Amino acid sequence: MDTAAPGGGNSGRKVVVRVKRRPDTREEPRWEEFALDWRPHMNIIICLRDIAERPVTRDGHATTPVSYEASCLEEVCGACAMLINGVSRQACSTLVDSLEQPIRIEPLTKFPVVRDLVVDRSIMFENLKRMKCWVPLDGTYDLGPGPRISPEVQEKYYPLARCITCGNCLEVCPQVNENSDFVGAAILSQVRLFNAHPTGAMHMKERLAAVMGPGGVADCANAQNCVEVCPKQIPLTESIAEVNRQAIREAVFGWLLG
Amino acid sequence: MSTHPLTMSASKTDDQSAFFWRKLHSLSGIVPVGVFLAEHFWSNSYVLVSPEKYDAVGQELQTLPFRPIIEAAGIWLPILFHAGYGFYIWGKGKSNAFAYPWMHNWMYTLQRWSGLIAFLFIGWHVYTARFLTGGRSNFVTVHDDLSNNLYAAFYLVGVLAASFHLGNGIWNFLCKWGLAATTRAQRAAAYLGAAVAVSFTLAGILIVYSARYNFHPFARYIQQ
Repeated sequence: MDTAAPGGGNSGRKVVVRVKRRPDTREEPRWEEFALDWRPHMNIIICLRDIAERPVTRDGHATTPVSYEASCLEEVCGACAMLINGVSRQACSTLVDSLEQPIRIEPLTKFPVVRDLVVDRSIMFENLKRMKCWVPLDGTYDLGPGPRISPEVQEKYYPLARCITCGNCLEVCPQVNENSDFVGAAILSQVRLFNAHPTGAMHMKERLAAVMGPGGVADCANAQNCVEVCPKQIPLTESIAEVNRQAIREAVFGWLLG
Repeated sequence: MSTHPLTMSASKTDDQSAFFWRKLHSLSGIVPVGVFLAEHFWSNSYVLVSPEKYDAVGQELQTLPFRPIIEAAGIWLPILFHAGYGFYIWGKGKSNAFAYPWMHNWMYTLQRWSGLIAFLFIGWHVYTARFLTGGRSNFVTVHDDLSNNLYAAFYLVGVLAASFHLGNGIWNFLCKWGLAATTRAQRAAAYLGAAVAVSFTLAGILIVYSARYNFHPFARYIQQ
């Protein structure tokens, strides 16, 4: 349905898109404006792809295709998070018709820009490791099957496993910035998930020690933007409160009762 | 530090001091600072009965045994710690309420500004009501102060800021100590905080009005 060649649209409607470009991070970012042919159900990824097919700005200057990350195109991979009209969201699930024009597209601001809209989110993976968000399974012999998880518990915690590490929750968090090393909602939610997992729970104390350390759960200041913006509807504020409770219990009673 | 899965337990001990101070900051806003605010409003609400009763309650508080210790440990130090650490926390965050104008995000920003306003008010309030009166504040001095329009206006601003800060702080505390963990519990906690903020504001306005206009609606209690 979208095979019409760019520039050959028949409706005549245009979509005006302004993209914050930074092909070279040694240079300051600059804005480029494009006028694209409107098509039904157009999303931001289609806009970026149309620009790539015909990289000419609105005033006729030839430019380069915009660099961006995208993979699944159905809001399950997390790669295409960016600021669209100033709001952090997934480009693939953001429909042009729902936006005011000109549409402003910028890279996330809480991560280092690699090029144009591509940002380096590896800090999230580093923080997952720092907060010990995994279940140790590897060894020199077969450990056998782990404890069974009841369907009720599975149902309760499955939503937490839907996290796609897109970074939207960090982008909108006032506590995540260059002054702080707060790991953010996504990582704290994984702490909760792995503490709830029967095998993961065997390492709960180490995980809580990490989460009570620098950048941990205490840095959350309850603005609750994370849960508003999460594309996977993960109950992030419940996760943070739950991890808070576990950490408080450890802090208050850990030294007393062991 | 190795990050190989099997070495999980052998990690270094993390510095947990920030966790301790953060949680103490949250708690100190409720106990003792919030409790003191409640006591302060309660004591001052005796002005609704009569100036004599108001002065008697003030006298009662001024003759508490161990008063300097109670004041220092229960009021001065906690307020200074709560304010000082609060400003430190403020400096580490970057408010974005205009970009993301959701209710709790506005509360986040307002919590910081109301804290600053309340802190400035408390400083001024202590200076005028405690030091300028030589610790002998009574109905007459309060009435005189509140007869000044600017003073009365600043009192109302201070009451509003402190009440909001406490109400929103209760909600924050319940979330941050994991006592309100589910979305439903957090909504209930928000209503509780709102109820506290509204009641404290109304009580505070009533007290200011009563002291300014010599309005004593509960005077009849004495005749019984």
